[in-house]
Amino acid sequence: MGASKKRKAVTRDVEEEAGVFSGDELNANDLDGALSDNANDLSDSEDDGSDSEIDLVDEFSDEDEDDEELDSDEVPSDDEDLVKKTKTTATKAVVLDRTSEDQDENSSDDEMPNFRIEKDANGNDRYVYDEINPDDNSDYSEVDENANTIGDIPLSFYDQYPHIGYSINGKKIMRPAKGEALDALLDSIEIPKGWTGLTDPSTGKPLELSQDELELLKKIQLNEIPQEGYNPYEPTVEWFTSKQEVMPLSAAPEPKRRFVPSKHEAKRVMKIVKAIREGRILPYKPPTEDQEADQYVAKYDLWADEAERPDHPMHVPAPKLPPPGYEESYHPPPEYLPDKKERKEWEETDPEDREKDFLANDFGSLRKVPGYETFVKEKFERCLDLYLAPRVRRSKLNIDPESLLPKLPSPEELKPFPTTCATVFRGHKGRVRSLSVDPSGVWLATGGDDGTVRVWELLTGRQLWSVKVSDEEAVNVVRWRPGKEAVVLAAASGDDIFLAVPPIVDPETEKASLELLDAGWGYAAPNPALSAADANKTTTPPQWIRPSSTLTEAGVCAVIPLKYVVKSISWHRRGDYFVTVCPGSSTPASVAISIHTVSKHLTQFPFRRRIKGGGPPQTAHFHPSKPILFVANQRTIRAYDLSRQLLVKILQPGARWISSFDIHPTSSTASGGDNVIIGSYDRRLLWHDVDLSARPYKTLRYHKKAIRAVKFHPGGRYPLFADASDDGSLQIFHGSVTGDMLSNASIVPLKVLKGHKITGELGVLDLDWHPREAWCVSAGADGTCRLWM
Amino acid sequence: MDSLSSAAASSQAVQRQVRVQLTSKQEDIALPENTGPILVPTGLRRYALSTLVNNLLGSDKPIPFEFLINGTFLRTSIDEYLTANGISAETTLEVEYVRALIPPLHIASFEHDDWVSSTDILSATSPAASWASSAVSQGQERILSGSYDGLLRVWDMSSQILAVSPAPAEGGHSASIKAAKFVTPNQIASAGLDRTVRLWKYVENDDGFSGKISPQLELFGHKSGINSLAVHAPLNRVLSASNDHTVGFWSTKKSDAPAAPEEALPSKASKSSKRRKLNPSVSTPQRGPLALFSGHTAPVSAAIFDAKDSTVGYSTSWDHTLRTWDLVTSALVDTRTTSHSLLSLEHLPEVHLLATGTSARHITLIDPRVSAATVAAMTLRGHTNAVVTLSRDPHSTYGLISGSHDGTCRIWDIRSTKTDKDGVVGESVYTISRKSLEEEGKADSKRVGGEGVKVFGVSWDKTVGIVSAGEDKRLQINRGEGVLPSKI
Repeated sequence: MGASKKRKAVTRDVEEEAGVFSGDELNANDLDGALSDNANDLSDSEDDGSDSEIDLVDEFSDEDEDDEELDSDEVPSDDEDLVKKTKTTATKAVVLDRTSEDQDENSSDDEMPNFRIEKDANGNDRYVYDEINPDDNSDYSEVDENANTIGDIPLSFYDQYPHIGYSINGKKIMRPAKGEALDALLDSIEIPKGWTGLTDPSTGKPLELSQDELELLKKIQLNEIPQEGYNPYEPTVEWFTSKQEVMPLSAAPEPKRRFVPSKHEAKRVMKIVKAIREGRILPYKPPTEDQEADQYVAKYDLWADEAERPDHPMHVPAPKLPPPGYEESYHPPPEYLPDKKERKEWEETDPEDREKDFLANDFGSLRKVPGYETFVKEKFERCLDLYLAPRVRRSKLNIDPESLLPKLPSPEELKPFPTTCATVFRGHKGRVRSLSVDPSGVWLATGGDDGTVRVWELLTGRQLWSVKVSDEEAVNVVRWRPGKEAVVLAAASGDDIFLAVPPIVDPETEKASLELLDAGWGYAAPNPALSAADANKTTTPPQWIRPSSTLTEAGVCAVIPLKYVVKSISWHRRGDYFVTVCPGSSTPASVAISIHTVSKHLTQFPFRRRIKGGGPPQTAHFHPSKPILFVANQRTIRAYDLSRQLLVKILQPGARWISSFDIHPTSSTASGGDNVIIGSYDRRLLWHDVDLSARPYKTLRYHKKAIRAVKFHPGGRYPLFADASDDGSLQIFHGSVTGDMLSNASIVPLKVLKGHKITGELGVLDLDWHPREAWCVSAGADGTCRLWM
Repeated sequence: MDSLSSAAASSQAVQRQVRVQLTSKQEDIALPENTGPILVPTGLRRYALSTLVNNLLGSDKPIPFEFLINGTFLRTSIDEYLTANGISAETTLEVEYVRALIPPLHIASFEHDDWVSSTDILSATSPAASWASSAVSQGQERILSGSYDGLLRVWDMSSQILAVSPAPAEGGHSASIKAAKFVTPNQIASAGLDRTVRLWKYVENDDGFSGKISPQLELFGHKSGINSLAVHAPLNRVLSASNDHTVGFWSTKKSDAPAAPEEALPSKASKSSKRRKLNPSVSTPQRGPLALFSGHTAPVSAAIFDAKDSTVGYSTSWDHTLRTWDLVTSALVDTRTTSHSLLSLEHLPEVHLLATGTSARHITLIDPRVSAATVAAMTLRGHTNAVVTLSRDPHSTYGLISGSHDGTCRIWDIRSTKTDKDGVVGESVYTISRKSLEEEGKADSKRVGGEGVKVFGVSWDKTVGIVSAGEDKRLQINRGEGVLPSKI
């Protein structure tokens, strides 16, 4: 028992050590070393090695050692260095093993001699055995003195003897008396006739009862009539008839005296009247002696000294019953009397539900009023009301519930915002995964499951350009480069990022765009040729390559092979950088987020390690005006200052899985703080005021299914934002940020845009705003894109 | 007359009566002699009044009339009108009657290979013919269509294609055409997404069953697609509205036009020239713009000449503004800002208003005169999608037609109004839906976003009727037969 406890203590100790190390910011080598040492010790202590058995001999000599070890075990000194620690644990292990040895020791006792040899008087050897001292567990038990010692023979052998065996002391054990013998004894004793065992108190002699007396007693006992010959069921004799006769016995007319006042009575009354007049009779008796005596019985008049109380909020007077009205009258006006229908209705309703407890009743005169049957019940209930009903002054809030609602402006005042579908872009086979409106607001780029990137005329829905970048992989994201001096479209399909210049622009801009993309080819060369080992490492930045000739012909200018599926692209506002995120769970943390420099054809991986907590990164955006990069993983958003290379902010929206987020384009310049909207797969749209709190300022749960994309209106011309959800709808919100730090952003839901069909549990996959107008476009899983204006 | 009025009075003696003075501005339907005020029951509506006027005129074939009281159409009974306007029945009402617009009926559809973006009409009454020296004879009407496949087509009224513009290799448009107009009966201007304005020579054979469109001049200068064109033949000038935020001002004469800017020419861009194999067979003279008016901050959707003063141009843009340009000095004269993107423009010279179609699904009437106090004089509501094309009613100075992405054309009369919560708004008189929808048996079904039936261009001529071009790859001709006084 003790050993197992100790063992537990030791293992726990080691675990704690490991915990401390993993929590600390040690460098990897230290950590590895420490952890591995401990592991060795653990394995040592756990196996029953031979070396511990050798130690066992020493341990046996002194018992104290055990305690000592326990002490050091239980209270480990803080500054104990690791080496010593391991040593003690080793010795502890030795101690632990001893118990198992103890058990072994018992088994080896048989081989040891249990006698000693002494010389007797003759000089011969004499074996003196140790005293056998049976302990509690021994089989020897206390012998019963009177136990029969005849052994294992049948008792029938003693049948002819008066005894049945012998005790341990050799005495005969006599056969016990049997029932027949007892009966015989009892029969031998004679009882006299009429013996009762009682003593007659008058004579002092034994009381004897005769047979008749005993029978009488028996009858009384049986509750019978003691008299002999009494029939309790004799037939009745009808002395008076029970039948009522129709005719009275006498037909004589009523005598006159029954109708005239009695003179005798009048005389007596006049006598009393006279006596009252003279004062000989007092009409009201003075209180008699009895009533005077009652005064000594304690009586309490609760209301005797009740004074008018000042009006106090804590004092609530008992409610008064309303005074009776016409209805309660014994002879109410006919209009108060219920007609048949009302009466029936009243009778049929449950007493609980009745509007009033009584029905008006016309009795004609007061003497015809019968006793009020519910009088007692009513008074009782009134008393219950008075003393059981808690009386609380209810301070009724006189607040118009409407006034508690925030004053939201009506959507009419917040126009313009998109309300109807203006154009449907049809052409993609399969889902449209992503779309983007170009900075000039004339074209729309889309990418879908069919592996094509298409460019459309925004207003008319005319497809202008299409390129199939991948045969099997879907195009996950398309984004136009910001800035009007060049027209560059970035698209990600599978592991590759494609940079294209669609041939829809004028020669001058096209040339500028091509030059922009071609400028980097020179930079790629100076990079030293990588050794084979380096190339195998995943963290090696990829080389930008030229696309195949068919893609070049179509307008694609550069391809970045990233080895992992890219799901998010976001451009820096200057158009020289863009950040991509590979959110796949198998993507190594070091290459999940990459920043690409267009002018140098350079790809960098800014993060070496995975962001702690919240799973793989989902999406990333540059701040619209500051050198800050926002990175979202499944549960948090972190803001990194790129110039100082610092983590500046962590947002915890409380969503389980962030799908997308967007940063307010102008709030940092207008109000000094950033506002971020976050959409999550658990149907929430969250508005964050970054300076206010790490928690969301507003949570909007209006969608039935996951939110796929959220977007602010760019440029800040219209205070609008929208989200796209799997339930096939977009929701448009007004979200204005004031320059005043004290006032919060006002968020008004404006419009639900429905139209996309839900295909395979997916609705709207992406949305984008027109750069100038209050128009938005959405990409649906039903293969269409829609322009809403 | 007295007998008639008395008969009417006796028959409806119980009803109130009001004195009306019927007048007409049109000679051919004016009442024969100067009839005095007529006493009519106030219960009468438009139809009864129309019958009355037809009786008075004694015409053998009844002409439907509309009645104007104080500048608005009578849409209710006279009684209700009087009550609504608080006019006493004692006064004499001045009622003007005009020919009612006949519901425009579908005449024909011309099928194309691709979306049709724009259309124009050449007839005796069209502006191109009026500017030309030689009038277009009766039955020689031509319809021009510009299509998204980059080709211009000239049709006669019996749905025959007389001529098709050359392919890109032979000097045609290398991208979709967005605007096409007859300059004169022999000259066509077109522009499109290939950023050029092209002038074509159109020659018809003597038999009148075939013709030829040959490139005459290429005008370079825009940096982005061109949305619309306006031509003015007497001045040899063209206005173009482009996505590059500028309004182009061009000359149709080779000698007038300056040289084309080098950087705009496609041969300068190495990549595109390789790809496109520019016109090796035909070399067309290339010229530049007289001026590019910059001032708009978003794509310009439409540009027109003032119908009366050809030195003034107007342009509308997605930046919500309507700008007035002095074409002589190339100066910006005035800017009117509205609250929506403007997508189309038409001038109503007699009432001094500019009608402009917006992305917010209505038509705003703007008074361009500097003295005008309010920006928007009136709003015409009814469309359910962006209004992208407008054309004047050739019969009336108050009428216009609009084409919208909702797949309908609507005819408006600015005198036909109703009072809304936003004030007085115009109501459309007739709605023309696409015949292609009816043919599919889905005439009643409403297309979301006008998908497949968007109207891109509309043109209205007295002789030919209403020609609209749309996403259904058709030109659709509608005409109200009874409207035409000459009864073709």
